[in-house]
Amino acid sequence: MYHLGLLSEYLKNYMKTRLTYRADFWVEVLSDLLFQATNLIFIFVIFMHTNSLAGWSQDEVVFVYGFFMVPWGVFACFVNMWNFSERYIVKGEMDRILTRPAHNLFQIFLENVDPPSLIGSLIGLLIMAVSGLNLGLPFEWWTIPALILLTISAAAIYMGIYTTLTALSFFSDAPTGIIPLMYNIQSYGRYPVTIYNRVIQVLLTWILPFAFVGVYPAGLFLQREEMTRMALLTPVMGAIFVSIGLFVWSRGVRKYKGAGS
Amino acid sequence: MAAIDVHDLRKTFKVQKNRGGLKGAFVDLFKREYNEVTAVKDISFQIPEGEICGYIGENGAGKSTTIKMLTGILVPTSGRLTVGGYVPYEEREKFVRNIGVVFGQRSQLWWDIGVIESFELLRKVYRVEEADYKKRLDELVERLELQELLNRPVRKLSLGQRMRCELVAALLHNPSIVFLDEPTIGLDIVVKSEIRSFLKDMNREHGTTILLTTHDLQDIEALCSRVIMLDDGSIIYDGGLDELKQRWGTGREVVFQFGTATKLNRLELLTEGMPVKWTAENNLGATVWIPLEMNVSDVLGRVVGQADITDIKIIETNTDDIVRSIYQSGSANKAEEANLALPREGAGHV
Amino acid sequence: MFNALSDAGSPQGGQDAGTEGQEFRRTERRLLLEAYFDFIRIRFLTMLAYRLNYYTGILIYSLNIGVNYFTWKAIYGQGESLGGFTAAQMTTYVAVSWMARAFYFNNLDREISTDIRDGSIAIQFIRPYNYVLAKMMQGLGEGMFRFLLFMIPGMALAMLLFPVHLPHDPAAWAGFLVMLFFSFLINSQINIITGLLAFFVENNEGLMRMKRVVVDLFSGLIIPISLFPGWLSSILKLLPFQAITYLPGSVFTGRVQGVGIWNVFGIQIIWFAVLLIPLFWLYRAARQRLFVQGG
Repeated sequence: MYHLGLLSEYLKNYMKTRLTYRADFWVEVLSDLLFQATNLIFIFVIFMHTNSLAGWSQDEVVFVYGFFMVPWGVFACFVNMWNFSERYIVKGEMDRILTRPAHNLFQIFLENVDPPSLIGSLIGLLIMAVSGLNLGLPFEWWTIPALILLTISAAAIYMGIYTTLTALSFFSDAPTGIIPLMYNIQSYGRYPVTIYNRVIQVLLTWILPFAFVGVYPAGLFLQREEMTRMALLTPVMGAIFVSIGLFVWSRGVRKYKGAGS
Repeated sequence: MAAIDVHDLRKTFKVQKNRGGLKGAFVDLFKREYNEVTAVKDISFQIPEGEICGYIGENGAGKSTTIKMLTGILVPTSGRLTVGGYVPYEEREKFVRNIGVVFGQRSQLWWDIGVIESFELLRKVYRVEEADYKKRLDELVERLELQELLNRPVRKLSLGQRMRCELVAALLHNPSIVFLDEPTIGLDIVVKSEIRSFLKDMNREHGTTILLTTHDLQDIEALCSRVIMLDDGSIIYDGGLDELKQRWGTGREVVFQFGTATKLNRLELLTEGMPVKWTAENNLGATVWIPLEMNVSDVLGRVVGQADITDIKIIETNTDDIVRSIYQSGSANKAEEANLALPREGAGHV
Repeated sequence: MFNALSDAGSPQGGQDAGTEGQEFRRTERRLLLEAYFDFIRIRFLTMLAYRLNYYTGILIYSLNIGVNYFTWKAIYGQGESLGGFTAAQMTTYVAVSWMARAFYFNNLDREISTDIRDGSIAIQFIRPYNYVLAKMMQGLGEGMFRFLLFMIPGMALAMLLFPVHLPHDPAAWAGFLVMLFFSFLINSQINIITGLLAFFVENNEGLMRMKRVVVDLFSGLIIPISLFPGWLSSILKLLPFQAITYLPGSVFTGRVQGVGIWNVFGIQIIWFAVLLIPLFWLYRAARQRLFVQGG
């Protein structure tokens, strides 16, 4: 309850700040959409040269992409740690966070909420609807609950991975970190992982489980029998990776050295 | 029970050792070596409830590191500490509800929105009841004269205005222990004295325990009954301010401006028999150094009326000067220093 | 005044001609040159200092090549040739493009806009060297680091794992290496332009993100230009991005040979020259804004 109350307070402050810089808001939304559009272009270009990608049709791949956008938008709305190392460690704002009576990671999430990202989720839903109709996918009673559960689970996987990686900046002295490099990798979970060889499949399934934020859960709606088991594992993976993230984070905070003298 | 209780507190940082040159950098890529730097070396002290204590020392002496351990930001390498009954780094979120922290160089407030919005948010973060918050805010706002500023965004405040708001932000939840890291840095004299009297009143009315670091001796003179001095991670003095100044203060300087040319030897003649030293830049200005055991007024009494004085300025030593003079006192006084440092263990506070 | 300060080394330095003045200027110029060289060296050493980034970097680049290789393999299926690329050429193209990216990639846009946002650019502008050139040198130091410690071991690894065919023609090698350097120049120019825009828009974060995506997609890194639909690829051929990845990659895979190498190299040079115009213009406008309007 306390934490939900704080969330609404921070959102209010976000809106107040945002109203001061209105132009920025639209630039950000627009650039986000363009970013997504370029990814769709890749899919369309590929399917101009082939009819199927390891047995997946264009509509199926586009559907996976649509699903992929939904948890990503949710995650990007609540978790924004891209400049964590610079802002909180180098400039020492972590000091302030640690002297306040709310969980420190939660405070950092709150201070960086980014509601415009949710627009991406909406567009993702739209893409799912359109390609789902093209494919004639059935709409069952469990479709919506499953979508919600899988979205939360996938967002939790993102959160776990990125919290772990961000926490590395407590241990390492690298100022930029390796997070930007992850951008490419997470997008690989959008394609049927069966096209990759074993090593990469294992990596994308168990080590950096980005297949669980894209193709596996989407496979459930696409009635891909071979992925159903994996899709049902998504919540478990979410729980595991959030736990890992929180564990590494709390170890990292104990290692925090503070900025300056 | 002591508000702050510290035993053998130590903090060591691992600092990466860089080998020089290109070849060294390549070697570093595969095998790395670290140096251990001990920022705080087994210090112990107790601060009773309701005391205002100054924590001084040169930059890099370990002041900030200590404060950060006391506020739960850093985890100590070894030693025991309790602050307000808590071990700071263990139950951080519960613990920090009882303390207030002001870092003079960093802001607590949201940059782009009105000050009052930040206060409202902090009320929620610290779970302060609406009624208590109202009462407390009114009290602080009136005391620090912030009525006009409440709706302005922080980025449009002057440094002095901002610092007063920072104080409110740190005190809204009425903490029983307050840590102030350089609270008056960069402020003008009026704001400085306002803040000092505010802190003094708060200590008297609420019995707030205050630990502050500063480079300004006047902060300490105005506020602190006790001073802890740190050098290279160790406590070298723990006791009253007067004693500190007597032991190590180099003295005071009085700068005179004269209306008519006044020779240096004439001034020396005026203060004959006194252990003072005169220096002059030109015939219209001179400086006299007065040791601490002498009264400034005695010297002034001899000079005023005998010379055509247009201006007098008394310069007090600041903490940095005192610390520097301790270093410069050389090996002869080291024994005395050690003697002085010893009793702190049992006495806690003089 | 500011001109002289920020463009040190320009002939405005000393009006009092004569041998002494010339000698002085020569020493000054030599020192300045050494200073620029130091930017390269220091950045190189800085990169070496962050070994976590280094190790994960190698892994992630190899993974990128692997994933792209298998994706293309799946796309080819039984097909022989796509957009003029055989499956073997595509493998080489993918590996080489990613490795080339290791050399030309840098975060100059982000660095510059951070300098602008936190105001430290004012100090850097009045230092006696050219800010843009110094940034370029830092980018070069970073590129050289990755070239030696990423690209070469990474390429060896890729050759072990995937059927990558390196050309036998020395002209392809020479052409590729020279063009790779120009890839770096053009990509850095685009980065610097994007970074300097932070002077004129309040938040260029979105712009930088967009640029990143556009460069990766339209330079031919993710999809070779010739695979785009006709209308799009003819538009892309009019944009500078193809000069970053697609053109050098085409030379290296042997799709462009002989005189053709000179032609595609010519395109790179033209883009390098053309991009200097907005770069200079932005730099001047930025300085004016900083010194006349006070930021």
